[in-house]
Amino acid sequence: MDPFQVLGIAQDATDEQIRAAYLLRVREHPPDRAPEQFETIRDAYEAVRDPRRRLRHRLFAIDHGAPLASLFAPEAHPRRFVGPDPWLDVLKGK
Amino acid sequence: MRQLIASGDHKAALEQAKDLHKVSGTLASEALLVDAYAERIRALLRRNLTIEAQSLLDMVRQRYPASRVRLAELTPRVEAKPLSLDDLVRPLNDPDLAAEQRTAIDRRLRQEVWDLKALAHCDALALDHELRKAAAALERALVAVTSGPVTDDALALPEVSRRSPLAPWKLLARAIASFYRRDDDACRRYLEAIDSESAPTRLVPAIKAMLADDAHAPLTPAAAALGARITSASTLRRALEALDEAFASASKNRILKAIRPAVDQCQQVSPEQLDSLRQHVSVRCALAVIDSQRVVGPLGGPSRHDATFLRLFARGLEETRNPDQVVLACRLWEDFRHAAVREGWFADNGPEAAALALHMADLLNQLPNDLLRDLQWSARAGTNEGGDKLTYLFQEELYRRACVLDPHPESFSQWMEWAARQPGNGAERVATAWHKIRPRDLDPILRLMNAAEARGALPTALGYLGKAERIDSLHLQVRGARLRLLAGNALRHLQQKKPALATEDLAQLSTLPDAQQGDRPAFLAALRLVSSAARGESERVAALRADVEQLLGSGPAAALLVSAVAAAAKQRAIARLGSVEDESERRSLPSAVARVAALAADMSLKLEIPASWMVEVAKQFPECRQTLDAAHLRRLGELAVWAGMDDLAYAISTAGLERGETTAARFLLLRANATIKSWERHIVCAKAAAVLGREQQDTALVDEAAALVRGFFEFEHVSLTLEQARDVLNQEKAAREPSTKGRPGPTYAALLANTCQCVSCRQARGEADEPFDDLDVDDDEDVDDDDDSGFGIPPGMPPELVEMFAAEIEKAVRRGESPEEFMARLSTLPPRRRRRKRRR
Repeated sequence: MDPFQVLGIAQDATDEQIRAAYLLRVREHPPDRAPEQFETIRDAYEAVRDPRRRLRHRLFAIDHGAPLASLFAPEAHPRRFVGPDPWLDVLKGK
Repeated sequence: MRQLIASGDHKAALEQAKDLHKVSGTLASEALLVDAYAERIRALLRRNLTIEAQSLLDMVRQRYPASRVRLAELTPRVEAKPLSLDDLVRPLNDPDLAAEQRTAIDRRLRQEVWDLKALAHCDALALDHELRKAAAALERALVAVTSGPVTDDALALPEVSRRSPLAPWKLLARAIASFYRRDDDACRRYLEAIDSESAPTRLVPAIKAMLADDAHAPLTPAAAALGARITSASTLRRALEALDEAFASASKNRILKAIRPAVDQCQQVSPEQLDSLRQHVSVRCALAVIDSQRVVGPLGGPSRHDATFLRLFARGLEETRNPDQVVLACRLWEDFRHAAVREGWFADNGPEAAALALHMADLLNQLPNDLLRDLQWSARAGTNEGGDKLTYLFQEELYRRACVLDPHPESFSQWMEWAARQPGNGAERVATAWHKIRPRDLDPILRLMNAAEARGALPTALGYLGKAERIDSLHLQVRGARLRLLAGNALRHLQQKKPALATEDLAQLSTLPDAQQGDRPAFLAALRLVSSAARGESERVAALRADVEQLLGSGPAAALLVSAVAAAAKQRAIARLGSVEDESERRSLPSAVARVAALAADMSLKLEIPASWMVEVAKQFPECRQTLDAAHLRRLGELAVWAGMDDLAYAISTAGLERGETTAARFLLLRANATIKSWERHIVCAKAAAVLGREQQDTALVDEAAALVRGFFEFEHVSLTLEQARDVLNQEKAAREPSTKGRPGPTYAALLANTCQCVSCRQARGEADEPFDDLDVDDDEDVDDDDDSGFGIPPGMPPELVEMFAAEIEKAVRRGESPEEFMARLSTLPPRRRRRKRRR
């Protein structure tokens, strides 16, 4: 997973921003309650905390074989408001 | 209680039955209680209170599962009457409704009611009943969240308490709101919190499918229709998935057919992403070896070749691990650097450019040396372009560029490591440059110190050592170096016939705490002896000889040490060794030799053992093999290999292999050295030792094992798993005696035959990727076609001549000559060019 995405930071985030984002995420997913998410957050932090590693990640961490759909921002897959009826149809068990 | 039931006082009977069961808790009391409940249910049915009867029946069946048989006759009577919503909720108007019945009704509301509007308008409940109010609020909230963006206030829903049977609806409303806000994590959390038995849970699979968490989960038609309406089931997504699948199939026609729909959809839904999609598709098509001209049509035009494209293409190419593609990737990374600078991604002289240079150098390091040299030569010859244009092909230039742009220890370290693998003194040059720019870094100082020591420039080495001590005097290499360098300097002064200076060195040596450890005092005494001899102090020489003998506890050991020190100081007169006459001294000779060999290795002293001594060692070894520790065994084994005494080396390896797992890999390597006449066994033992050494993180052992098999191209493909290496170890442990014609040793034909070298198999075996071996021979155009004839033994040669031939090759190898060079010398032809030469 993209460590910047995991931490919710921009690729040009500063050291302080990275650390703050890390601490925030750890508070949200403490190791005793969410060990797997904590591991992911920890790994992401390790990947970007060192400026040199961060730079290398920015330059080389591109996955040319990733699913093509991942190229598109969520906006490319809009979620339309369709009113309550189609939702209720599911609840009715149609 | 039976009487109460019979008399129709069911309520009293039930109360008493409850009390009794609470106290006794037996099967009998439970049966009595169920009977009381059954009478109560019958009474309710008689009064037409079906809902109450049904709720009570549900409760009893749930609480007492064993009662199902006893209550079976009531079930059809209760369930025959379908429940309307009004009937279900009407009992809730009764303020005296029993808690159990209320719970049962709540449960049915939670599980079955899906029509909030109906509940909100249910006339069976008072207008201000909290259930009606909650249902109305939830209905409004659901309409709101499914019709447009909502605020958090709209979802506060204070009308719905956490204990309400409608509480899961509140979670559902919030999940839907989060879904539309694209706060997918929050949406997932709300979905997880919805009671899995409640009515709203029917929407969970549909929402998860839209979140793409479970895109292939089976959905009801209504759920599928919902997904299609909300996300369009994204025709774009489907087209992209189809294209991904086409690439995975590697069918060129299928790929080309799948491109156009994806591009068309992208143009409609997200035209701003079209360039990016074209670039990705172009790169993937290029990697799939599809003619770019055939791709342009379906793509609706060529892709833009900017920095993004170049980076993507370079990354894709380098991951193919094909040497030609890797070279091209280097070229593209260089192009990317220029394009990125032009497009303002980063500056030409910043850390990004340095990181790129290191990355390119790293890629070049993956290429076979011959291929790279050919490419470099032809690139230089085929173009007038100089300087920067061809930098991408030359590691030296790339490392230099990286270190100039970003003089970080990591960059220098990579450069120095690379230079150390090249012929010449490149590593020393890099270390000098590194030291000049970063004088406080220890690594280059140690490198310069070791280089100076290796070429005998001991004062220079001591100068670097002084610098190193000021930076980190506790460093392992630094601590050990002063003793070694001072000793070397003392010997050098003795060689130069400057005993006064040697005495000064000795005085300094004596003050070092390290000099007092182990057998080092004996070494110092020997050094003093040689120094005294140089000054002609014969009495002192005799006294010091006695000291050395006393410190080592052995006359032969003392003689051997003094001889080694005297030889190093070029004092030949006292370097001569006589024969060992005394019977007890002869018996202890293996131990004495091993001890001095260990000390000589510690002090970097060359040790020459007379052949007669080694013969005696071999003779005495079986008697004293148990008394030697593993370190001494190892040194003795090395001496045996050096002396070419394979049987002694074999016997020592047998003794060593019995010493346990920690040192087993080391003695397996000795076994490899001892079985050099059996090439296959020699190779397999060395490779197994390397695998075991890697497991123990003993890099020195791994390097030695690798050096041992270097140049044996016929066996380059052999690589062992850890399990296979352990098996080899066990077989070698069992083979306690050298093999003879009548007693063949272990055979490893199976290991040599079927070792797949594809990248995935190598990775599965946990090996480093060396993916280009299969291409090496093809690339070596000047290697003869008959290259698979082993070491060139002509076909039809008589066996006795083959044996002589093999013995000669072995001797040549011991002299440091490669088998090819030996063959070439025999045939007076120049040696064939090989990628690597065997060195010993």
